[in-house]
Amino acid sequence: MDKDFKYVGHTFPIHDASQKVRGSLEYLSDIKLSDMLYAKLLLSPIAHALITRIDTSKAEALPGVMRVFTHLNTPSKTYSRYRIIPNQEFCLEDERLLTDKVRFAGDRVAVVVATSKEIAKQAIQIIQVEYKALPVLSTPEKALQEQVTRIHPEGNLLYEYEYKLGEQLPVTEDCVVVETVTNTQKVHHAAMETHVCLADFDSSEKLTLWAACQGVFGVRTIVADFLELSYNKVRVIKVPMGGSFGGRQETILEPLTAFLAKELRRPVKLSLTREETIISTMTRPATTSRIRTKVTKEGFLAECSVNTVLDAGAYASSSIDNTYVMSKKICKLYRISYYEHSGKTVYTNTPVAGGARGWGAPEIMTAIEIHMDEVAKSLGMDFIEFRLKNLVHPYDLDKTSQISLGNARVIDCLEKGAKAFGWSKRFKRETDQGRFRRGAGLACAAHKNGMYGGFPEHSTMTLKMNEDGSFILNTGLHELGCGTITSITQIAAEVLDIDPKYISTLEADTEYGPYDFGSYGSRVTYICGACAFEVAKCVKEKLLECASQILQRPIQYLDHKDGRVWVSGDEQHSISYRDIATTAKIKHNTDIVITHTYHGTSNPGAYAVHFAEVEVDTATGKVRVTDYLAAHDIGKAINPGMVEGQIQGGVQMGIGYALYEEIKVGNDGSILNSSLKNYHVLNAPDMPEVNILLIEQGGDEGPYGAKSIGEIAFVPVAAAVVNAVNNALGTSISNMPLTPEKILNALGGKKHAN
Amino acid sequence: MQIEFKVNGKEHNMNVQPTIRLVDLLREELGLIGTKEGCGEGECGSCTVIMNGKAVNSCLVLAPQIRGQEIFTIEALEQDGQLSKLQESFINNSAVQCGYCTPGMLMSAKALLMVNSHPSAKEIKTAIAGNLCRCTGYNKIVQAIQEVAVGDQKLGT
Repeated sequence: MDKDFKYVGHTFPIHDASQKVRGSLEYLSDIKLSDMLYAKLLLSPIAHALITRIDTSKAEALPGVMRVFTHLNTPSKTYSRYRIIPNQEFCLEDERLLTDKVRFAGDRVAVVVATSKEIAKQAIQIIQVEYKALPVLSTPEKALQEQVTRIHPEGNLLYEYEYKLGEQLPVTEDCVVVETVTNTQKVHHAAMETHVCLADFDSSEKLTLWAACQGVFGVRTIVADFLELSYNKVRVIKVPMGGSFGGRQETILEPLTAFLAKELRRPVKLSLTREETIISTMTRPATTSRIRTKVTKEGFLAECSVNTVLDAGAYASSSIDNTYVMSKKICKLYRISYYEHSGKTVYTNTPVAGGARGWGAPEIMTAIEIHMDEVAKSLGMDFIEFRLKNLVHPYDLDKTSQISLGNARVIDCLEKGAKAFGWSKRFKRETDQGRFRRGAGLACAAHKNGMYGGFPEHSTMTLKMNEDGSFILNTGLHELGCGTITSITQIAAEVLDIDPKYISTLEADTEYGPYDFGSYGSRVTYICGACAFEVAKCVKEKLLECASQILQRPIQYLDHKDGRVWVSGDEQHSISYRDIATTAKIKHNTDIVITHTYHGTSNPGAYAVHFAEVEVDTATGKVRVTDYLAAHDIGKAINPGMVEGQIQGGVQMGIGYALYEEIKVGNDGSILNSSLKNYHVLNAPDMPEVNILLIEQGGDEGPYGAKSIGEIAFVPVAAAVVNAVNNALGTSISNMPLTPEKILNALGGKKHAN
Repeated sequence: MQIEFKVNGKEHNMNVQPTIRLVDLLREELGLIGTKEGCGEGECGSCTVIMNGKAVNSCLVLAPQIRGQEIFTIEALEQDGQLSKLQESFINNSAVQCGYCTPGMLMSAKALLMVNSHPSAKEIKTAIAGNLCRCTGYNKIVQAIQEVAVGDQKLGT
């Protein structure tokens, strides 16, 4: 990576930054259409019950109320909120628009459509519902033990799998066997804009959805099939959104809102409050991972046996795939002779789990990295030395997929990161004795680059040259606030050798744009970026062909730079992109436009090692993260400023995951903290400085060697912080989040044991 | 009820419901959509505006409280088509990601700079403690504010 680039590797602000600082960018929650109606949901206050009676007459009589819907006047057919393409496996259709049986506190019971938000809210309050309560199964343990009560007719065990890789070799020497159990909790994505949906059904029988989503084609396939509309009659437009983090990956509000617009033949907007967003949309899944390893005295991992249980909540959503991908991560990080994994996905009467930044990786990496510290302790071995003996090397094969891990530079991250962080000085070999105790923790992590190896993986873009030599790049991309549009534009600009301000990159629109699976799976830079690179190369070729015709010289005698093409050695004999585009149209009947489909053929690992220093107040149990370093194997940072922002944002979310954040569910299934008053999101004073070390060694098929960053940035954080707390206190806590109560309990228990 | 108040230098005399919140009045009645709502209970700071020189959560302010008051929203920061230095600094420091918290964040920062032109990093963090951001991890926001924390800090500069 010794070539200096003009645009790639330079920091650019997010493409719409100037609108955002003005407050002039219209988010979905800002958009109003004329004649628009407002919808409001009635959510179930209880966790498991049959609806025995529902009386909407008073609500219907309220002036301004247009319609009230319940399970009695909406289709009884079911759908999957998770499906991305037709015929996709593991997309259980277990959800209705409005339910006749509530399965969690927050399930959708009724919806009012009215001429104003206020009227819709009033109407909701006067709907009378009678429930026949059913036993509440608030945890996977209860749901699995239960013999009679079934959350869904098929039973409470949603999915189960098991596989074994490699051979259990007879181990001739003594081994250490270590077992740990790590619990991770349900958390709220906490995107700052709450969930909103807007739909219209016009007189041409066409449905339009303005969606703050991560995949417009996923929304279209679900909504169109549900409403039995052909896909050309459903237009889904990606609009600006205030964050996502996986929380808008699945199609949650769109089927219902589309149904309402179709029934009323008017635009309908459904907006959720923060509380409704917390309880009724989606959460990160809660998981329990039991890991048992057999390790030689020299510190080599001989066997690793993992058992995970994932709490899907009340509907399947993406939980089957989420459980499955948890089994695909550890072998991307460590060389292990024998690996076995068994997993269960379980329905419970709790909020629905679904896609969340990192998709199974944060959960299982937290478990394995807490485990690795425990193994090193058992061996009496240095934490770094132990990991170095087992980490994957560049171009190792991923044991689970048999695909190359590419230029996997996790060892560089660990060695260079440890040095930059001053690990050997900060790690406590002896626990502090005062009230305030410091400690250091580290965690390694592996993630992926797209879906190749387990799912179709391709992206299509159209790049066209305007008459003045500027370009329009039409894509199926979704800007979630990560800088996707900017980095894709930088890639195309680098190839075309033109200032990025002359390229407009468009976001997804099912009617006007090309197909793409969506922004998830850490696929955007690696796969869509490669598509942008290739389509720009094709356009450049065509552009040079046109220049060759105009200048009457073969292509190999042409040079180009900054939007001009000239005959080599004779810079005076040049032509601008503008003249090429215009002349091609006027004189050569040529339009410079290319549509290109890129399909992925690799899936290297993305790696990170994070280092945290914490201070624990042993009197209160409160933890403060005092310093932090994140080392990332990113291949090549396309836009370093935004890359740093992704990492720092990942750390903010990860510290919360480790220490505070949890959607607490009572035994009766009630949600105990459904507001930001009692759901603590890390604020500025809580946040440490995050130092960043980027390892940019390229070597894989991403554009200019780039690999993913958004998800991997979050993956190691919780384990690094938990390990730091355990180092500070000499404890082995693995039950997240590490609230003051848990820390005081661990300290009490330790004192008692001593 | 009839109330008089000033928004971004413009006098308003309006007949409003006494229960209307300032955030709704700004967004729905005056069309100032730059002020965002993220929680409706004063926890996230997305709806921060400056009222009589102080940063307030406009979701917690009711119409009667704004009688005779002077309010500035995000729309006031840009003057004569020129972004303020603070806005420019957010752009140049990659302090903007999804952008939903940005207007509130800018208004809290502005309120601080109006009374303290040389705040320390700690003072900046305290000033934006009520503004949640889920994208950036705050580091770049603090940096952006610190970079302009010199010189004249009237609105529009």
